Amino acid sequence: MASLDPVSGALGQKAAAHLLRRTTFGPRKQDIDQFATLTADQAIGQLLQAQPQPQPPPVPPPNADREVDDGLMQEYFRGWAVDQMRISGLSALEKLTFFLHTHFTTIRQVVDKSKALYYQNVLLRSYALGNLKTLAQKISIDNAMLILLDGRLNEAGAPNENYAREFLELYTIGKGPQTSADNFTNYTESDIREAARVLSGYEYDETYANLDPETGLPIGILNVGRHDSGTKQFSSAFGNRNIAPNALQGKQATPAAALDELNQLVTMIFDQPETARHLCRKIYRFFVFYDITAEIEQDIIVPLSEVLQNNNYEIRAVLEMLWKSKHFYDLDNGVKTDDNRGGIIKSPLDLVLGTLRFFQVPLPASSNLIAFYESTYKDGLLAMMEDQGMLFYDPYDVAGYDAYHQAPAYNRNWISANFLARRYQFATLLMQGKNKNGGELGFQLDIVLYVKNPQNITDASNPQLMVQEFIDNLLPEIISQERFDYFLNDLLLDNLSVINWQLEWNNYLNNGDDTAVRGQLEKLMKAILQSPEYQLF
Amino acid sequence: MERRSFIKKGALWSAGTFMLNNIPVNLLAGSQQLQWLAATADTDRVLVLIQLHGGNDGLNTVIPISQYAQYYNMRPNLAIPDNGLRKYITLDSTLPGANQVGLHPDMAGLKALYDQGKMSIVQGVSYENSGQSHFRSRDIWYMGGNYNQYLGSGWMGRYLDTMYPDFPDAYPNSQMPDPPGLEIGNGVSLAFHRDHGIPTSISIDNPNQFYDLIKSVGGDPPAEIADTHYGKELEYIIGMEKNSDKYAERLKQVFDRGSNSPGVTYPEKYPFNAPVGSLRNPLSSQLKLVARLLSGGIKTKIFLAKIGGFDTHAQQVESTNPSMGKHAALLYHISSAVKAFQDDLQALGLEDRVITATFSEFGRRPQSNASFGTDHGTAAPMFIFGKNVQPGVVGANPDLSTLLGSNLPEQHDYRQVFTSLLQDGLGASNEAMTKTNFGDYLDKKLPLINNNKIITGDLSFTDQRFRLHNCYPNPVKGSTTFSFFINAPAHTTLRIYDTGGRMVHEVINGQRDAGANEVVTDLSLLAPGSYVYRIEAGLLKATKTLMKQ
Repeated sequence: MASLDPVSGALGQKAAAHLLRRTTFGPRKQDIDQFATLTADQAIGQLLQAQPQPQPPPVPPPNADREVDDGLMQEYFRGWAVDQMRISGLSALEKLTFFLHTHFTTIRQVVDKSKALYYQNVLLRSYALGNLKTLAQKISIDNAMLILLDGRLNEAGAPNENYAREFLELYTIGKGPQTSADNFTNYTESDIREAARVLSGYEYDETYANLDPETGLPIGILNVGRHDSGTKQFSSAFGNRNIAPNALQGKQATPAAALDELNQLVTMIFDQPETARHLCRKIYRFFVFYDITAEIEQDIIVPLSEVLQNNNYEIRAVLEMLWKSKHFYDLDNGVKTDDNRGGIIKSPLDLVLGTLRFFQVPLPASSNLIAFYESTYKDGLLAMMEDQGMLFYDPYDVAGYDAYHQAPAYNRNWISANFLARRYQFATLLMQGKNKNGGELGFQLDIVLYVKNPQNITDASNPQLMVQEFIDNLLPEIISQERFDYFLNDLLLDNLSVINWQLEWNNYLNNGDDTAVRGQLEKLMKAILQSPEYQLF
Repeated sequence: MERRSFIKKGALWSAGTFMLNNIPVNLLAGSQQLQWLAATADTDRVLVLIQLHGGNDGLNTVIPISQYAQYYNMRPNLAIPDNGLRKYITLDSTLPGANQVGLHPDMAGLKALYDQGKMSIVQGVSYENSGQSHFRSRDIWYMGGNYNQYLGSGWMGRYLDTMYPDFPDAYPNSQMPDPPGLEIGNGVSLAFHRDHGIPTSISIDNPNQFYDLIKSVGGDPPAEIADTHYGKELEYIIGMEKNSDKYAERLKQVFDRGSNSPGVTYPEKYPFNAPVGSLRNPLSSQLKLVARLLSGGIKTKIFLAKIGGFDTHAQQVESTNPSMGKHAALLYHISSAVKAFQDDLQALGLEDRVITATFSEFGRRPQSNASFGTDHGTAAPMFIFGKNVQPGVVGANPDLSTLLGSNLPEQHDYRQVFTSLLQDGLGASNEAMTKTNFGDYLDKKLPLINNNKIITGDLSFTDQRFRLHNCYPNPVKGSTTFSFFINAPAHTTLRIYDTGGRMVHEVINGQRDAGANEVVTDLSLLAPGSYVYRIEAGLLKATKTLMKQ
């Protein structure tokens, strides 16, 4: 039986590594060592600490080589957003912000406005540790969302149902089994139309001057004349509830009354236990495993969803319970076949950032805007992620990146022959400091310097210990002796003796010529980073 | 647990992706089945499927001429005009009234294919209780099930299973050196979406680069795999890696060996005004690759290509001109790319082997919205192309006065179409169809394929629609009557030439209506002797002789 009972005692190395890999963009060895001594309470308390909002992305400087337009601003935004994750330390905040982006998604090519994308990102970060119900209400009139799903075109008399449909199907209650042409159990086609009426009349505010008094962030503007002020009649899925404006000016709802209708709609949907369950399934798939069996539904999803509802949709309550649970650490039963550790295929984002963070690869100074945002990010890391199948902030579907919603394959959507080859190639490029066209990245992984630092590798002259430390900290699961010997003997030692390595290493320390050890270390690193095991966490 | 097998089978659905000529190519395959079909006779036919992602607006693609007034009233801000330069293209005036349809004005390529007897339109394709969720509906079309079924595999995977049992372990082999299915596209199917041709990691002139990439990375995979979730995912990744290694070299060889016809130009851009993101033709490079692989001898059975952008809730058309805009560009892309593909296949001598079909997760609402767009709907037409296609329009225009809710009623189940294509087109046996889960549709097939055409050569379809008759009287003394038949309005010229090739008289130069046309001409001034007269009217290009006394 899967169990949400909390674990006790110090986490230990394996559990600490697992927690940090799943809830941050990847730990360093030192981080794993530190968290290994903490209890789950302490560790998760640290991960869930509030963080200040970062400074906004800079404006691209003029340069003769290229035009500064909003397209370039959008590239700066994308680089900036990824960099927040890269520098986010031992905090879950950026991972949660990204999780919310996979859920309340956006598509840059459709929105095509750097400011709208940025403010939505700030909104998601503001609620990353906050209230999902409030966020659902806020995002409904967020400028980027009003553009993405045509909310700005939705008006009385000619409703555009695009947002209402996805609000129900993707963002809140989710579709249940389809029982007839217009009935998805949890809602009906008529509910979509009625919800569209509630949501009608909000327009994109290109001045970004209309601020939400609660968040201080720009929101869309209600054009009262375009709001449908009639009574909206929902189906039995929502108890045949009516939503109508509580104050009229003439025949039109007042802006406050229209906003109240939106709140009523959100409340009505979030009062349904299925909404909490749908959101908990998304959380589970993102942080634990994609396959939700009947047992998981009963033992994990349902109780978690009750916690979510009882806490009025504060996500923190659910995260704490899940991340502290025996189930999260595969300690809830003796059955191995349902173990979750290592069961998620890393996204390109997780792969790239996890590697950079683990090896503490130094990027160029962010004050050099062109080098940092254009060479390092736009033509470097973002292009690599794209080659690996993740066009960051540009998922193909309004449902977001396939890996987080597309049954039955889920994370396996990250793997195709081509994407996999590109993931493997990333390790090579990272050590060469080159992009795939041979251009300079402006940074590289110097593996010799890395292993030389005793904070990273306890003793680089001891090849067995070094390989063991790499395996323990980079790969999600223990490996067989045969596999270990492959990494150690075939790759690092070139089937020569341990003593030979010690000699080579000491030669390097004495005369500074790293040619011999660098070649072997790079072979080892490529083999580990290009292994199927490293694609998982 | 059902979900477990769901995932197990689903994983095998797409077993690898390659990059060829800048385009990711994804292998489709299925799990093990009996080896029963290997013994049965197999055709060398292949199926090329084109997915229109987002839900194509059928009513602005195939315009219901017989209900034009009602059509217009339901979408006045969107309706394709019935007059002017950008009016719909009349498909075929010889069809029964209720079947009379127009094509979007940017689909001249398809009109030409139809007139050559290489296209069929199936009206009102959907499934019972069609839902309006993109994601669910797309899954249903892929899975080949009912609205309330949650199948663990796709119909293409199941069909290929029957053809190639024990994939992938027993493959490649000498009978089947290629992946049974190839998914081609900028963002590959369920698995590998991207928008508008972005994966440009491999230069377009260098298809061999993928091969080089595959050969340059990776190491030995682990031998022992635990029976955990981790182990299952590991196995999947290793399987993918193995498949890339297996097929990369062969695909490179096939690609290098093949070529496109030098006389055919694939379209690159929409030639008129449209939003910038809609201008580039995302389909033509995919079809071009399929043609080249086929000419190189690839034995793959099903190809899947994709074109996105059909979720036109807003700005489907230009507010000032409903025949222009985003949707017009998309339809042009399909029409021009398929026409080039078909011409290429013909020139390459491959036309007999290929059947192509379009599909989309659903059509759109007859009633437009105020954003110059359409919301999700249900039934929509499918196009079937190929030399072996029984040309025509299957089904009447939807009755716009009796909608189901606010949507079009279904006329044909999508499985009727695919069953017809697999069995009549590809030669699948009843047993294979049953295993594909289409057994219920064996007695509901549609007349989409005509295999007799290749044997006898069937020109009657075109002849019935385009004819130049003998002028009467002939020999001519004073006046004579020229008569001809065309199946759609066309700019027409009819000219008389002497034996030296000089034009001596222009009988017609202007627009002529569909149907039988007649013109009486006084030729009394013409010197006695032998002449030819030549007509050009759309597809009709014919020459006959007349004697002047």
